[in-house]
Amino acid sequence: MIKFLIKGILRDPSKSIIPIFVITIGVMVTVLISGLVKGILSEVVNKNANLDTGHLKIMTKPYAENKDQLPNDLAILDLSILKESLELNYPNVDWAPRIKFAGIIDVPDKNGETKIQGPTLGLAYSILNTESKELKRLGIESSLIKGEIPKSENQILISDEFANKLSLSLGDEITFFGSTMEGSMVFEKVIMSGTIRFGTPLLDKGSFIMDLSYAQKILDMEDGAGELLGFLDNEIYNPIRAEEIKKDFNKKNINNLDEYAPIMLTLRDQNDLAPTLDLMDLITGIFIIVFVLAMSLVLWNTGLMGGLRRYNEFGIRLALGESKPKVYKFLLIESLIIGTIGSFIGTILGVSFCYYFQEVGLDFSDELAGTSIVMPSIMRAHISIDLFFIGFIPGLISMFLGTALSGRGIFKRETARLFKELEV
Amino acid sequence: MSKGYPIGGKTFMALKNLTISFNEGEFAGIVGPSGSGKTTLLNIIGSLDKPTQGEAIVLDQNISDLTHKKAAYLRNINIGFIFQVFNLLPVYTVYENVEFALLLQQYSGKERKKAVMEALDWVGLTSHANKKPDKLSGGESQRVAIARAMVKRPKILLADEPTANLDSENAHEILSTMKKLNKELKTTFLFSTHDEKVMGYLDRTIHLRDGNIEKDIIKKS
Ligand SMILES: Nc1ncnc2c1ncn2[C@@H]1O[C@H](COP(=O)(O)OP(=O)(O)O)[C@@H](O)[C@H]1O
Ligand SMILES: [Mg+2]
Repeated sequence: MIKFLIKGILRDPSKSIIPIFVITIGVMVTVLISGLVKGILSEVVNKNANLDTGHLKIMTKPYAENKDQLPNDLAILDLSILKESLELNYPNVDWAPRIKFAGIIDVPDKNGETKIQGPTLGLAYSILNTESKELKRLGIESSLIKGEIPKSENQILISDEFANKLSLSLGDEITFFGSTMEGSMVFEKVIMSGTIRFGTPLLDKGSFIMDLSYAQKILDMEDGAGELLGFLDNEIYNPIRAEEIKKDFNKKNINNLDEYAPIMLTLRDQNDLAPTLDLMDLITGIFIIVFVLAMSLVLWNTGLMGGLRRYNEFGIRLALGESKPKVYKFLLIESLIIGTIGSFIGTILGVSFCYYFQEVGLDFSDELAGTSIVMPSIMRAHISIDLFFIGFIPGLISMFLGTALSGRGIFKRETARLFKELEV
Repeated sequence: MSKGYPIGGKTFMALKNLTISFNEGEFAGIVGPSGSGKTTLLNIIGSLDKPTQGEAIVLDQNISDLTHKKAAYLRNINIGFIFQVFNLLPVYTVYENVEFALLLQQYSGKERKKAVMEALDWVGLTSHANKKPDKLSGGESQRVAIARAMVKRPKILLADEPTANLDSENAHEILSTMKKLNKELKTTFLFSTHDEKVMGYLDRTIHLRDGNIEKDIIKKS
């Protein structure tokens, strides 16, 4: 009998084309949207992690409390000892010290007098050390607008916008004014080897990148850093592992009475990422519920219309000795078959589009040459196993629900009336 | 028995206190103008409807007492239907349309095939087994409907104006086919009709008017 029904569906696609179409579209959109949401989300998380939060971050307690003021006088010292014990306790985590420091960039004229000046934020990453993963992690190469990555320690990269404001050209010598960790003045002549676009207004307005060990030297922070970022295995954020390491590390340091004792935060703990992550989950969830309801309504209606056309068939089947509950049952089975076909096609299409957007990306940065490192300017979808269910199951449920509702008409009508409709 | 339809708060009596019985193997027809209650009567006999008063006993079963399931079972095993419009399922072949009637019963694939081919043979359509209904003429379609109704060898065959959409040649062919099956398989045939051609074949004609039996004439053979 079921074989018979499948034959019927396959031979008369017009009977099921509308519901299949509705489900296909609905499932495809669901898969695509959740793929994009996940993709954008993981991109945001990654960019944030890479540029700012790490998967884990260690600071001294007072630094953490005042971190908006870039209090390098409260920075971590004896970095190498800390790193060594971290590497011992948590193998496979990559530890990257960084320093953020404020100051002024001064551009001299031919006579060495100040031509133009601007406040600046210095970002010190380990970019000259060949063992460091920072260059790759920060995507510096792909974010370069002009010039090249620094090759010697007195070379810096300046944000493109800032460099234009200061009318700088490649190779120009400029002076950085700032203060050391202890508060003495710093004057340092550096050379602009290239410009870069961060893609985040705050950084693009006026910041530059300097090699970490050079910054440590000029800021009198040998073996010190404001922040020590940790990146998990293969650079992939694993919230559970991150939480474990944090708990363990902080427990070990709980009895450390030193007021400069280090504390560890996870990615989730920083930059209000936790509510963002939760919100995204919520949005996806709500979207799926709305989708199921809306599709059920549409399918209920198509079911009603299709049902009217099919009273003829139902009448014949009743006459041949099928009972009403059986007709209804087979209608539901049929809906599951149709739902499966629609959900299958929709999932395949949705995942294919996701794959396309994962590989190629949705480029929002045409007018802005180069790519960014904080916010994704290329939206990418992210394919994961759950994409194969996230649309499929709701698609099936909607079709079943829609048919169950519309099929009730079979019961409401008297057999004889259903049957009467056989008479033209 | 009587049958009333509720219409706008009132009841319209389509069958008015009829008393009638049919014998096994009869080739009988209910004759009367449109609206006289023929279809209503056949539907009750076929357990698609129930009387509002009195009793209808079909093959020792009281139609009023049957559940959905029991009524379906009665139709499935013992009653075949033929309608005015041919009502084949358009997506299925001739073969499958006939086979459908057997799918609801416990036949093996082999038994099904044998029964279907035999039924098609009765109506002379074995060569059309793989055609779709839209490739058939009206007469052929009605013959498929006969095969579908007869394939399960029901005790009773109900034919509601089976010739209304056929020309006279096809009508005669169908009637002689049915008459032959009536003789061979001892199936009870009940027609509803107002077609003179049909009446010529009937052994018994029950004349219905406004829900009353006017005459009940048995032809002597
Ligand atoms: N479901 C129904 N509701 C109301 N009236 C009906 C219904 N079915 C039939 N009737 C009425 O009952 C009468 C008999 O109908 P029917 O049995 O179809 O007659 P026939 O088949 O002889 O043309 C007609 O007047 C018809 O309008
Ligand atoms: Mg009628």
